[in-house]
Amino acid sequence: MSIQQPIPEATPATTVVVRTARNRSGIFGGRPMWLIWPSIVLLVVIIGIPLLIAIYISFLNLDQYTLRSWISAPWVGLSNYITALTAGNVIGASALTSLGVSLAFSLLTTLFITPIGILAALTVNTTYGGRTLVRSLYLIPYVIPTFVTALVWRQMFLNGTGLVDRFLAAIHVANINTYWLLGPNSFWAMVIADTWASWAFIYIMVLAGLQSISHEVYEAADIDGANAWQKLTRVVLPQLRHILGLALLLSTLYHFNNFTLPFVMFGTPPPLQADVLPLNIYVSSFQLFNFGLGAAMSVITLIIMLIPGFVYLRALRLGEVTAS
Amino acid sequence: MRRRKRDPQEILPPPVRIVAIVVLAVLVLIPLAYTLLLSVTPDAEVGTGSLIPSQWAFGNYIQMWSTVSLAQGLGNSLIVSGIASVIAVILAVGAAYILTRFTFRGRLSYLYSLVGLQTVPNVMLLLPLFVLFASTQAAIHIRLVGTYPAVIITYLTFALPFATWLLVSYLGSIPVDLEEAALVDGATRLQTLRLIIVPLALPGLVVALVFAFLTGWNDVLFASVLTSTETRTLAVQLQAFSSAQEGGALPLYGQLMGAAVVSALPVVILYMAFQRYLVGGLTAGGVKG
Repeated sequence: MSIQQPIPEATPATTVVVRTARNRSGIFGGRPMWLIWPSIVLLVVIIGIPLLIAIYISFLNLDQYTLRSWISAPWVGLSNYITALTAGNVIGASALTSLGVSLAFSLLTTLFITPIGILAALTVNTTYGGRTLVRSLYLIPYVIPTFVTALVWRQMFLNGTGLVDRFLAAIHVANINTYWLLGPNSFWAMVIADTWASWAFIYIMVLAGLQSISHEVYEAADIDGANAWQKLTRVVLPQLRHILGLALLLSTLYHFNNFTLPFVMFGTPPPLQADVLPLNIYVSSFQLFNFGLGAAMSVITLIIMLIPGFVYLRALRLGEVTAS
Repeated sequence: MRRRKRDPQEILPPPVRIVAIVVLAVLVLIPLAYTLLLSVTPDAEVGTGSLIPSQWAFGNYIQMWSTVSLAQGLGNSLIVSGIASVIAVILAVGAAYILTRFTFRGRLSYLYSLVGLQTVPNVMLLLPLFVLFASTQAAIHIRLVGTYPAVIITYLTFALPFATWLLVSYLGSIPVDLEEAALVDGATRLQTLRLIIVPLALPGLVVALVFAFLTGWNDVLFASVLTSTETRTLAVQLQAFSSAQEGGALPLYGQLMGAAVVSALPVVILYMAFQRYLVGGLTAGGVKG
């Protein structure tokens, strides 16, 4: 068993090569366009309309009392946005603070998983006995459901009795009574847990990229007498530029949207240092029932996500590939 | 004297490679081993001096079923994730067929929006859907929040675009020549879809089904708001069980870890068994949290 991914260099994992039968449809009768209508209608009803409603709600003073007739809830203009950016909710951070936490969390995690993922991919790029086993092992943390990862790491970081505190105390690095699930350390607990769970994403992407580099390139490097480090930095990594860029972008987006890990690890309300944006929106909306504030924070999140989202769409180059 | 023929693809010298593998393996395995160890530790002994329990409490794996309604949670997870993934794949195969076989206005926008939708934060959709469900049920007196359909609908918000996206790339790789042969022989478009495309795309359909299923299985966000005591999914059940251990008399960490093992094991086995088919999909939908 091997990991097989048809990813040629310079085209991402999700590239679509689409052949259309544009001139032939006439010959073979009608086009069954009704096949796509249920999807379109459903997507509009369950995603399109809700997105518009979320934007509308963000201008309302909507709580559990005005929820019944939300269409006629009092219009408060931008005041939810002002609250979101300055005060935040009663028990949590402001959207701006949360944004900082989320950005630091997603960027740092991505920064940590990248070298691990590249290293792991390099260890299985050549054939040897037991390689399949190693590959399977690498995948385990990534495929475990996030809520289980969170439960496991919550246990690992338990104050005094968890494995992390025991280990740090045994090697005399920290007091056995170090708190990881409360206070400033919670941010690092979250980063460590997510790094453990998600480095295989980079690993899969890089491995696919490595296998698409042609054999001659490696041989040429050998003939030129390149050493391992030169081969990696001058030959391999430049070839992986595109796929790695895409992997980093997707990883950052993924970590930015990660709700489950901090929610299950810390519960609500989370420590201020781990109050990521999705969690803040959740607490504001469904525990304090300030739906207007939650919606305003969601809209802010969406606007921020538009930037990397746009870069991602550009990188896919759907138009060029599918124009054939 | 024969020198070992060196694989030109080799970048790490074998000793470095072995050290790297060992380090990575240890880092991967420690939390897993700790979890397995705790799951067979008597609850009273979790957190006492030694790591190795005085006796193996395999009973944790039996007791936990009555401590938490695990069976109910498992059943609920199977029902909502199962129904949502089947609906998603059926709708997606039709959409993917049209998207790969015909050109029409808005086709490219549709493809773009499939990807773009995956960057929309889940919590942003949960809020308006909750408001819609809550106000609808107040208006027409039909309970929605806490029922299966509400959860299934919200799961479709990510299962459907994702399944469509996977199937577009899969169907796009099936040559149109086969269909044309059938069309020449007088088959209708629908017959070609049913008799040629679906059988050929079966591995792709299964992959899409598995991923759509797993997004539901792994979800905590939607289910924590939209399920009631009877419809709670396994993930929410465990999350509630975990937070109930705070401040309790005797935290049932052994049973909690046992339940965690039981929720993760089927997924891990599924991946290991069908690794070569599933790995590609892992990166295709890497955006959603």
